[in-house]
Order: sequence, then C-alpha cells, then structure tokens
Amino acid sequence: MKKILIIDDEAIVRTSCDRTLGPEGYTVKMAASGKDGIEFLEKEPFGLVLLDLKMPDMDGLEVLSKINSNWPDTKVVMITGYSTVETAVQALRMGAYNFIEKPFTPDTLLAAVTEVFKDQK
Amino acid sequence: MRNILNLKNPDSSIATKLIIAIGLLMIILSFIFWYAILKKQEKDIMSIAVRYGGSFVNFTKESIHHSLLTASRDETQRILETLSTPEGVRQVKLYDHKGAILYSSHKESIGLTIDKNSVSCRGCHTDPEKSGALLNDQPKWSVSREKGNHTLLKIVGAIPNEPSCNTASCHAHTKEQQILGFIEADLSLAILDEALFKQGLALTTYVVVFVLAVALFLGIIIYKVVSKPVRELVSGMKEVAGGNLDYSVPIKSSDEMGVLAEAFNAMLLDLKSAREQGEKWTQTLEAEIAKKTEEIQRTHINLMQTEKLASLGRMAAGVAHEINNPLTGVVTFAHLLKKRFPQNSLEAEDLNVIIEQSERCSKIIKNLLTFARATPSEKGRVSINDVLSRTIFMVQNQEKFHHIKFNIKLEDSHFTIIGDPSQFQQIFLNMFINAADAMNGRGNMFISTRRLTENAKPYVEIEFTDEGCGIKEEDMPKLFEPFFTTKPVGKGTGLGLSVSHGIVKHLGGYIKVKSVVGKGTSFLVRLPLAEEEK
Repeated sequence: MKKILIIDDEAIVRTSCDRTLGPEGYTVKMAASGKDGIEFLEKEPFGLVLLDLKMPDMDGLEVLSKINSNWPDTKVVMITGYSTVETAVQALRMGAYNFIEKPFTPDTLLAAVTEVFKDQK
Repeated sequence: MRNILNLKNPDSSIATKLIIAIGLLMIILSFIFWYAILKKQEKDIMSIAVRYGGSFVNFTKESIHHSLLTASRDETQRILETLSTPEGVRQVKLYDHKGAILYSSHKESIGLTIDKNSVSCRGCHTDPEKSGALLNDQPKWSVSREKGNHTLLKIVGAIPNEPSCNTASCHAHTKEQQILGFIEADLSLAILDEALFKQGLALTTYVVVFVLAVALFLGIIIYKVVSKPVRELVSGMKEVAGGNLDYSVPIKSSDEMGVLAEAFNAMLLDLKSAREQGEKWTQTLEAEIAKKTEEIQRTHINLMQTEKLASLGRMAAGVAHEINNPLTGVVTFAHLLKKRFPQNSLEAEDLNVIIEQSERCSKIIKNLLTFARATPSEKGRVSINDVLSRTIFMVQNQEKFHHIKFNIKLEDSHFTIIGDPSQFQQIFLNMFINAADAMNGRGNMFISTRRLTENAKPYVEIEFTDEGCGIKEEDMPKLFEPFFTTKPVGKGTGLGLSVSHGIVKHLGGYIKVKSVVGKGTSFLVRLPLAEEEK
C-alpha cells in the first residue's frame, strides 16, 4: 500500500511532490490544509503523510498529533524550512518518522519516501 | 558677586572726615585757650597798672602833703603840674568831698565839678546825692577809652583826715571830717595796650601755627594709617572683582589695617584655590560628560545597529521562508525536465544551470536564516582552541587554501565559552574565507588566541590577520551590514560577517577590525570566557 497524502498549503510544493512520486509508482493524494488532510485520512488509509509544518489554518504539529493518535500505522515525514529545525526536532520527538528541508530536490524526496516504504516491500 | 563689588570712588573719605572733626575741635579748643590767656594777661596787666596807679596817687598825696598843710595853693598847683609831666600821665587833680575840683594839672578844669556818675563818686557811693550809702567793695579805679582808642585808667585815692590837718593853723578842717578830699589821676595805658596787642598777636600766630602744624601732622598720619591702606584695599577688591585673583594687597603693618589686609590676602588665596578647584571639577565633569555622551552615542549606535539587524533578520527570514516554496517547485521541475533530455544535450546543460542557480538561492536563504536565528540550538561548554584547530584542519584540505600558509599561535590555555560549536565554526570559517578572498588565495595568515581582561571580566581574543588587499575607510561602517560585500557578484552573499557579528554579539562579545589598504586586515574576535569549572 504505497499511498501517500501530501498536506501543504502551497500548490507548487504539492505538485512537485506529486510529479516526483507519481511516476515512481506511488498513489498520491493532495490536501491544501490540515482540515482537508484529516478528512482524506478518515475516508481511506495512507502509508505516509508528507506534512508541512507551517500552515495557516491548522498547525503541522497539531495535525501530527491527531494522526498519531487516530492512525498510528500511518507514518509522517515533516517538510520544513531551515528556520524551523527546532520545530522539526520537536516533531521527531512527537513521533514523526523523518523530516526534509525545503527546498528539496526530487532525489532527496524520493530517498526519504523510499526509506519509509522499504520495510513494507 | 559682581554687583556687590562694583566699587565706586567714595564721595567723602574717612580721612577727610577725621581731619575736619579733629581740626574743628582743635580750632574751638585753641580759640578758648587763646581767649582765656588773652583775658588773663589783660587782667594781670590791669592789676599791675592799678597797683602802680595806686602808688602814683599815694606818691602825689605825699608830695602835696606839705603844701596842703601850709595851704600854699601855688605850691600845690605846681607840684601837680610837675607830676603830670611824665609820659602817660594825662591829668592829676584834687577835689573835695562835694566834687568841686580844687587843683588840677589842667588849670582850666579848676572850679568845675567832677562827673558824679564816674568812679570818682560811684567808687564808694551807691547814690552820689546821698552820701550815707557806701559800697562794701570799693573799686577805686575805672577804665575808659581816650582819643586814639587807648585805655585810660582813672584812679582815685582818698585824703583822710589826720591830726596834723585839723590841728593846722589854717583851721580849714574840723576834727569830725573823715575824708578831706580826693586825688584823681588819669593815666594813659597806651604802652600797655600796645604790648598787650603785640602779645595777643604773637599768641594768635602761635595758635594758628600750632593748629596748622597739628592738622598737617594729623593729615599725614591719617593718610598713612587709614587713607592709603583703605585705598589699596579698595583697589585690591576692584582687581578681584575684575577677576584677577593673583593680586595681593601690599600692606605690611601691625595694626588693624595690616590684619585686615592679611585677612583679605588670605581670603584671596582661599578664593583662588576654590576657583581652581571649581575649574578642575568643571573640567573633570566636562570630560566625564563627554565620555558618557560618547558611550551613550556608541551604545545608541550599537542599539540601532542591533535593532536594524534584528528587523532585517526577521524580514529576511520571512522572505527566505516564502521563497523556499517556489524554489522547491523550480528545483523539482528542473530535475523532472532534465530527465526528459539526453544527458549531454544542450537542454540538459541549460537545466543544470537552472538547478545550480536554484541551489545557490537555497544557500543564500540558508545563510539568511542562520543570520536571523537568534538563539543557538545547542549550547554547551566549547573549547575555542579545539574548534579553531578543527576548522583550520578542515580548510587546509580545501583547494581554496592550498597556497595559504597558516601561522598558528594558540595560547596554551583552556578557553572555554558557553555556546554552540557549529556557530563558532561558522564564524571562523567566515574569517578564513574572507582572508583567502582578500589574498586571492596566496599569502600568509596569522591566527592566534590570547587571554585578556576587560572591565574585570576575562575574555579570549582570537586574531585573524591576513596579507590581503585591506578594507577601504569608507567601507568600514558598512562591514557588518547584511548583504554588504566587495566580492564579485555570485561569490559572496554579504552575510558572512553580519552573521558572525550577530553570533558574537549574542554571546556578549564583539569584533574589532584593523586594516591598512594594500597591507592587510586583522579581525579581532573577543568573546567572554565561561567561569572556570571546579
């Protein structure tokens, strides 16, 4: 089950992830806000959520704690800017699987995603 | 103070007042003295004159005694005329108790009656008509003025009844008669008047000379003792009022004036030292104020700089963060597009440029965010010498530094600082990169560390000196501003020094720069040392 949900308020980041991961055989769904993302998760299960830390309506860490308690099998990789490394560290402590820094290259993203799914192969 | 000492010349001096007062007193006293002496002389002379006059009358009486007894009228008249011949004897006459003149040296007055209101009668009688009433004190003389304003002494002597008179053969007088007649002499005192006048004149001259001499003497003494010292004191005060405190009053006497002058001079000295003290204080105060003002200005500039940097940092962080999102898109899509072209195609190479430039953007943003990040992530005890050695080792292996000779002199001391080692590494790296760029990759670099104390606090100073191109004077103030760079476009971000500055400042240190254009630059990084661990 290589289903990935991308939660990011920036369309270009969502599209970048989709265009990188889609051709590699992943099923990618995209949500523009934390609220939308939770709705997607309620409808169907995902193996991985790529979660932006900074979003306007619901904070990334808030979404993370919701995913952790409701869908413990779903792994979360945080997407972060450099200035929020401390927050990323906090996210890892809160149960995020990994984090990648913006701006990322397709290779970085793929490597991180592959790492998540390697156990499931 | 100026107003009080705004001295004018006195309208009247103490000396004048004293001289006038004493002079007046002297004149009055001298006049009284002069008058008393004059009167006394006059009285004495008069009493002598009266005495001699009395003698003269007695002598006359004795002279005519015989001729009267023998009743020879011619003889009596002749004697009287003879007696009136000496100088000064005006007239000698003889009259009976009734006032009828019997004999006189002036023949024409014989037979006349004397003036009953004169001393001739009034010498004994209160009333000449009533012969009974006699005076107790009987002055037998009187003075009057004769022609030529001379004193005329009229002196009267009684001829008492004697046994020889009433027993004489002529029987002119009875035994009962007490006084038979009177001899009267008019004596001129012109000579005495003249002598008296001469004496009075001399006395007056003496008194006037005495008064003048005393006045002159007093004047001189008062001038010397009072007037001159007072004038000197006043001129001294004027000098002082004019601001000349070096003046001293030249009075050297043992009296009150001397004491006053001494006190005045002492006061001047006190005033002078007080003024000097005041001036010194003012100067110290001014210097202190200037120092403090400069300090405040420096602090203000630093504060402004810090505030500027902080707001710039916040803005930069915000901008950088926002740019990360589109940059992710650019990088991703460039990569995706590149995959569609053969590896060495022109398109692939163009896309590589896009990717490289995007990465450059990413690097700039990372630097910006480092700059904006205020607090270090991992704080701990850091050995400066260790971090420095590691950083030097790291750069020595890089191509950029292959032709640079590192001269390292680290003071053998455990320089421990509380902070993030990666931040120190970043600072040192910035210094090395800047030095290498300034020297175009060739030359000597001197790195040293030393301990020093500033404001009683221990500091470590890390010196980075290069033999590069140096920094222009006009660039100095902008050195730590973000995005300021003299490197060619694309080589420097202009953030290295501002990031370093931010970190060092945050740790309570500062960076000093010394540079000579064409010779080289020294960066002195001063950081406060952590307290020694026990």
